[in-house]
Amino acid sequence: MTFIGLVILVPLLAAVAILCWRKRSRELALSATGISFLSSLGLLFGPGSELILPGLPNMPLRLVATPLTALLSTMVAVVSTLVLIYATGYMAKDKEKNRFFATLLLFIAAMQTLVLAGDWILLLSAWELIGLSSYLLIGFWYEKPGVKTAATRAFLVTRSADLGLYIAAFMLIASAGSSDIATTLNTDGSIAIVAGIFLLIAAMGKSAQTPLHDWLQGAMAGPTPVSALLHSATLVAAGAILLIRTAPMLPPETLAVIGVVGGVTALVTGLMALGESDLKRLLAASTSSQYGLMFLAVGAGVPLAALLHLIAHAAIKSSLFLGAGVFQHSRGSTALSDLAGVARDQPRIFIGFAIAALALAGIPPLSGFFSKDTIIAATMAASNAWLFAPLALAGTVLTGAYMARMLRILWQGSARKKTLVGLKQMSIGFGGLVALVIVLGVLFPSIETFIAMPLPGNRLAVVLGLVAALTGLLLGWFIPARTLMGPLLEKANQGFSLAGGFDRLCVRPVFVIAHACEKLERRLYAAVLAVGQTGINIAHMTRNSDEQGIDLFIFSIVRRTIKLGNHARTLQSGLIHRELAISVIVTAGLFIFAAIGLLMY
Amino acid sequence: MSVELVWALITGAALFGVGIYGALSQTNLVMIMMGVELILAGALINLVAFWRYLHPDAMSGQMFVLIVMTVMALEMAVGFGVAIARFRSKGSVEMEEAAELKE
Amino acid sequence: MITGQSIFIGFFGVAAVWFGIVVFRTFSMVRSAIALLFSQTALGAMFLTMQAEFLGVLQIMMMATEMSIMAFFMVMFMMDPGGMGKMEMTHQKRLSLIVGLVSFVGAVAIAIFIDWGPVATTVADTAQQTKALGLELLGRSMLVFEMAGVTILTAMIAATSVAIQPLPLSAIKHKKDRV
Repeated sequence: MTFIGLVILVPLLAAVAILCWRKRSRELALSATGISFLSSLGLLFGPGSELILPGLPNMPLRLVATPLTALLSTMVAVVSTLVLIYATGYMAKDKEKNRFFATLLLFIAAMQTLVLAGDWILLLSAWELIGLSSYLLIGFWYEKPGVKTAATRAFLVTRSADLGLYIAAFMLIASAGSSDIATTLNTDGSIAIVAGIFLLIAAMGKSAQTPLHDWLQGAMAGPTPVSALLHSATLVAAGAILLIRTAPMLPPETLAVIGVVGGVTALVTGLMALGESDLKRLLAASTSSQYGLMFLAVGAGVPLAALLHLIAHAAIKSSLFLGAGVFQHSRGSTALSDLAGVARDQPRIFIGFAIAALALAGIPPLSGFFSKDTIIAATMAASNAWLFAPLALAGTVLTGAYMARMLRILWQGSARKKTLVGLKQMSIGFGGLVALVIVLGVLFPSIETFIAMPLPGNRLAVVLGLVAALTGLLLGWFIPARTLMGPLLEKANQGFSLAGGFDRLCVRPVFVIAHACEKLERRLYAAVLAVGQTGINIAHMTRNSDEQGIDLFIFSIVRRTIKLGNHARTLQSGLIHRELAISVIVTAGLFIFAAIGLLMY
Repeated sequence: MSVELVWALITGAALFGVGIYGALSQTNLVMIMMGVELILAGALINLVAFWRYLHPDAMSGQMFVLIVMTVMALEMAVGFGVAIARFRSKGSVEMEEAAELKE
Repeated sequence: MITGQSIFIGFFGVAAVWFGIVVFRTFSMVRSAIALLFSQTALGAMFLTMQAEFLGVLQIMMMATEMSIMAFFMVMFMMDPGGMGKMEMTHQKRLSLIVGLVSFVGAVAIAIFIDWGPVATTVADTAQQTKALGLELLGRSMLVFEMAGVTILTAMIAATSVAIQPLPLSAIKHKKDRV
């Protein structure tokens, strides 16, 4: 229990400490990941443990350390430690180190939570958190043009796909009555099919499968350690991890769909990688392609193959990215045209780079060979082998092709010497990962026994795999991409967008709706103002009618009274004695009249 | 029908008549006011006679007399105030010249 | 029936009327005022005869004061206070004579020809009368008394405000500067 806590909490606390203290961020980060790594080793070699935290009523939060999750946790810890060592060198001259290390540690904590999550609620939260950290890290150099757009695009695409995860999680929780992942894996029937499709959608978003592969290309705007950690080994792995963990539940219909998606992705993004002109974008397309192969393996019904390739790919792609980072520092750009001949600037780095590239292509005895082999064997043993196997082989050919092309371009050129700051740390991180690339192949059989899942073996698969890899390598080395791809090159550069791509299908309609809403609102506002104006007009009218109508009437009465008074005035003489006499006589007269009246009646 | 009563009433009537003659025929404001005084005196004697010979136990008769006396005094006070104001503005209190009050 | 009371009433009545006529017949203004004074005093004496002592005393006292004030006003406002000029100061004499005579005759007719009913012969003692008047004043006629008081106040204020001279502007300015 304590190991689980340490694995997650130590990076998190380190992130908070860096933000508060703002000093010695490098040392804090390194020590945090080191402790996390040791704890994950403790999880790996120790007995299975579980950590239950109070959560929603009847749905406590769970962190479980099964063999699968412990293995993944260790992988995350190893890669993140090595990348962090590299990052201390890469970011040596950057002014915003604190923000970088803090966000990176936040991401590591979230990823570990995701990997170790035992219930859906925690998994959902961790899923969202890694999306957020990815946004923060891609947009790290936010003052550079285009970075903010890339970060927002990545966030929006993955976030939209996360809706699938929400729907699937709620469906599973509702049908199983509990949020524990292990319990919900017993679901079957139509719920399983539909939930599986939604899980696939979520996985497609995070793992950059077609048609959601575009965001990964743009995510290369972030710093290279971010690309190495997030967008090759961990964040994009979340999709594959989700499918691997829920594989026991997935019915054959869903598996078929998963496999098709994976295969198509491997093909499309492989072609894109072949035609790429930017090193990091090439590697990003390659990542999508490799994850497509992993999805293919899950679709073939052998999640262990996907897991092995995931681990191998983590080491390989991270080292490729770290090497690309060194090249970037050396030449100041990532465009392949600028990087021609950079191999001669940094020969030692290039050697490691080449080893990793060959491993990805599938050359024995490197780890990539073993994992590719299992995938091809799995697809050949699957029920849809007629579809899956050719796709897997095509993917292998393409992998070899673009890797060889990349190596060729980097090799062929003249050297430009430049001293690099932080080369020592970068070399250490890079070297560690390359060592893993070489060594992991040996460890695979023990992993098989550790996880205790079946793994098909097939001689034919081995042979076919080797042939495909070598073909690809030769094609890529000797034939330039233009000739190789022909008319597909343009489409590849556009990212194989269909019907105008997301821009035409999603973005423009939304803007049209937004404009319509704005116009409607303006009309409503004018209507409200008009109502107000009507009220004011009525008030004015009332006042005017009051002033002109009633006041006129009253004043006319007053004037008439005055005129009448003037007329009456002419009756009088004004002489006082006369007035007195008149009043006396009249009073007397009245009096007599009254007296006579009284007397009579 | 006592002689005293009748005689008192005749006196009141006479004062009343003299007062009216004076109020209507005099030109001076002060003289007019003296005429009014005489009219009120006539009323007073009538009141006292009625009280004494018809209802001597009802004190409200004397009350009435007090009120009339008050009225006499007040009317004289206000009248003389007006006379002062008129004298200040015009220099005389002759009522014949007061025809411009009509305007 | 001829009693002492009736003789005195007759005497004082004639005196009052005679002096009243003198008020308007004489040319001298002061003499007018004095004649009016005597007329009112005769009236007061008549009151005393009729055993309304309080009223009689009141009448004599009030009229004495009033007539002297009136004499002052006479002297202030009259053209010819002494009457040395012997000017005829009347107008519409005939009309007013006729009106006066008509009213006199009418009132006498009413006095003579109406049956006034039983005549009271005895009247309460003076002290008792005064006490009864006081009780009446402050008891049943309290409202009348109050109204009279208020009316007196109003009349005083009105008379004063009409009679006082408004301050000339220079005096006001001077007053202001002094502050």
